[in-house]
Amino acid sequence: METLAINMLNGLSWGMLLFLISMGLTTVFGVLGVLNFAHGALFMLGAYLCMQIMRIVPSFWLGLALGPLLVAALGVVVERFLLRRVYARDVSFQLLLTFAILLVLDDAVRLLWGPAYHVVEAPPLLAGVFPLFGHTYPVYRLFLIVVGPLVGLGLWFFFQFTRWGRIVRAAALDREMAEGIGVRVPLLFTAVFALGAWLAALGGALAAPQQSLAPSMGDRIIIESFIVVVIGGLGSFPGAFVGALFLGLLESFGTVFAGQAQMALPYLLLAVVLLVRPRGFFGREA
Amino acid sequence: MKRLRGALCAAVLVILAISLPASAAAATAPIKLGFVYIMSGPFATYGQFAKQGAEMAVDEINREGGILGRQLEANFEDSTGKPDVGIRVFRKLVFQEAVDCLIGLDSSGVANAVVPALLQMKTPLIITHAATPDVTGSLCNRYAFRISLNLDQNVKAAALIAAETKADTWTTIGPDYAFGHQSWEYFQKYLKQIKPAVRFLPEAQTAFPPAKTTDFSAYITKLMQAKPQGVLISLWGGNLIDFVRQADQMGFFSGEFEVLMTLGGAVEVLDALRDKMPKGIWVGTRYWFLANDTDRNQRFLNDYYSRYGQYPSYNAHGAYGAVYTYKAAVEKAATVDKETVITALEGLSLELPVGPITIRAEDHQALTDACWGKTSADPAYPIPILKPMRVFPGAEITPPVTETGCQMTP
Repeated sequence: METLAINMLNGLSWGMLLFLISMGLTTVFGVLGVLNFAHGALFMLGAYLCMQIMRIVPSFWLGLALGPLLVAALGVVVERFLLRRVYARDVSFQLLLTFAILLVLDDAVRLLWGPAYHVVEAPPLLAGVFPLFGHTYPVYRLFLIVVGPLVGLGLWFFFQFTRWGRIVRAAALDREMAEGIGVRVPLLFTAVFALGAWLAALGGALAAPQQSLAPSMGDRIIIESFIVVVIGGLGSFPGAFVGALFLGLLESFGTVFAGQAQMALPYLLLAVVLLVRPRGFFGREA
Repeated sequence: MKRLRGALCAAVLVILAISLPASAAAATAPIKLGFVYIMSGPFATYGQFAKQGAEMAVDEINREGGILGRQLEANFEDSTGKPDVGIRVFRKLVFQEAVDCLIGLDSSGVANAVVPALLQMKTPLIITHAATPDVTGSLCNRYAFRISLNLDQNVKAAALIAAETKADTWTTIGPDYAFGHQSWEYFQKYLKQIKPAVRFLPEAQTAFPPAKTTDFSAYITKLMQAKPQGVLISLWGGNLIDFVRQADQMGFFSGEFEVLMTLGGAVEVLDALRDKMPKGIWVGTRYWFLANDTDRNQRFLNDYYSRYGQYPSYNAHGAYGAVYTYKAAVEKAATVDKETVITALEGLSLELPVGPITIRAEDHQALTDACWGKTSADPAYPIPILKPMRVFPGAEITPPVTETGCQMTP
């Protein structure tokens, strides 16, 4: 019981952080058709900007609110002036371009903030611990478990039930038709890319009180996000949720029960999903 | 006539004045040193400290007239922590830059790949951080030297401390590559020798997270549920920082078991964690800036602090010390010829800020002191310091050459 509960919490908090990051990745792919390699770098930038804002005004909440917005603004610039030029070209151009952005951002962070490790404090409200089975458990992890689904639900509601959400879905389904009925698709793409960047940065700012900030910190999390998105189904929201949940729990229980085989589990899962159901749990038929 | 002669003399003097320094410079072209550390990615701060230490040593020596009257020139390359990149930049330094000596290496993985390749490069390498016992053991060769504490020596010191505690049941958490696994293997070997009654938890109750891990909660839960009496931690860098912060919140450091961190005394880690480093935990390091008050160490510490505004880490010390080690060897050899310098390095003794070191001729590993201490707060320092502190003399913690597995081929 004790083992089950703690592993549940471990897996859920990690999974929900993955979910936030994967949502951005999957939205950008679903609407723009771009596999954004720079997503991890935007995650990193979110964490660093949150830290930078906290150096000026020592409030985590302000960093959490403003940091991702600044990254979203950067997303606007990237889409408007770089990404837009390669939509019509071969898909390899998009991969190369987003990979280049990743390298540029990695080096920019190293130049601006130096190579040293940085640590961000959780806000006083969430910094505490609560007793659990004779030990303690951080409140911040519970916060992560709550905030992931909340953001997810909000976005799902937006896409499902609002006028703007419908327009985005229409443009994702058939770009030409949407343009034909008067949707300003280029503007819409800019907005969606900015949303993806915002989600990545939000994940980064939320991860900052848990993990140290260092150059290229996004490279590590992006691999797992790719796995989440592929097993959940590229472009699918519920897919990202189920995929992240699955991966988070698999890793926490795997670590405790599967020994050294644990490391292979996410990749094994990926391989099985690709073999049995290549479009992922919730992916649309290609 | 006289004026013409005077003009001629002046002309000759001018020509001499222009050409003499040039020809003198040709005879004293700079000695080239090639440094390879991790300069990018999550471990880049280690490379940064090493670069600072190296540049300070090079500047000091150049100010005092260089080595054998020749100035030093430093070339830095980024290994990125990957073995294939490591070999590539080493080849570049040797075959394109024509360096006289190589210094470097942060990762044991890179060291194990690079050392065998030195046989083609025929250039001495002074290792200052990578701790794998193999490069002065089963993989040892004529070109590879190490002046920093290796895994074997550091873990021996850990075992000596562990034997003094009441803990009889031990487990470990370490990075999932050779370094983490070998730390555990050697720890078991040494602790068993000192305290035969000790017990080690089976593999299923040890933890080896991959280096890319950022969420350690599952590993922390696993270790705590194994109910050990002592835990050996060989994580380093950002992994160690993340682990310590997350484990602290889950009650890991509440005193239920002993904790030894083999690389917890790194300034890179202490400076990031500051007051978030739990107190009273045993941590080890290859160099600690307060470990001795020799003039040599004071000078290094003061100069480093006033130049960079940071306390020198063991990686800064390693790169700094390697430059002086090379200087001592070249002065002993009276030439920069690589093979002669190698012979001079064998058996070389010199004083570094860390204390006296002696490079064994048989396996090229330096006998150097290990420093361990308990983390504690001191208002005089912004980072946790080691108090009480234990210094283990190199001769006591270094295994005999016969145990290293080194077969030096000429």
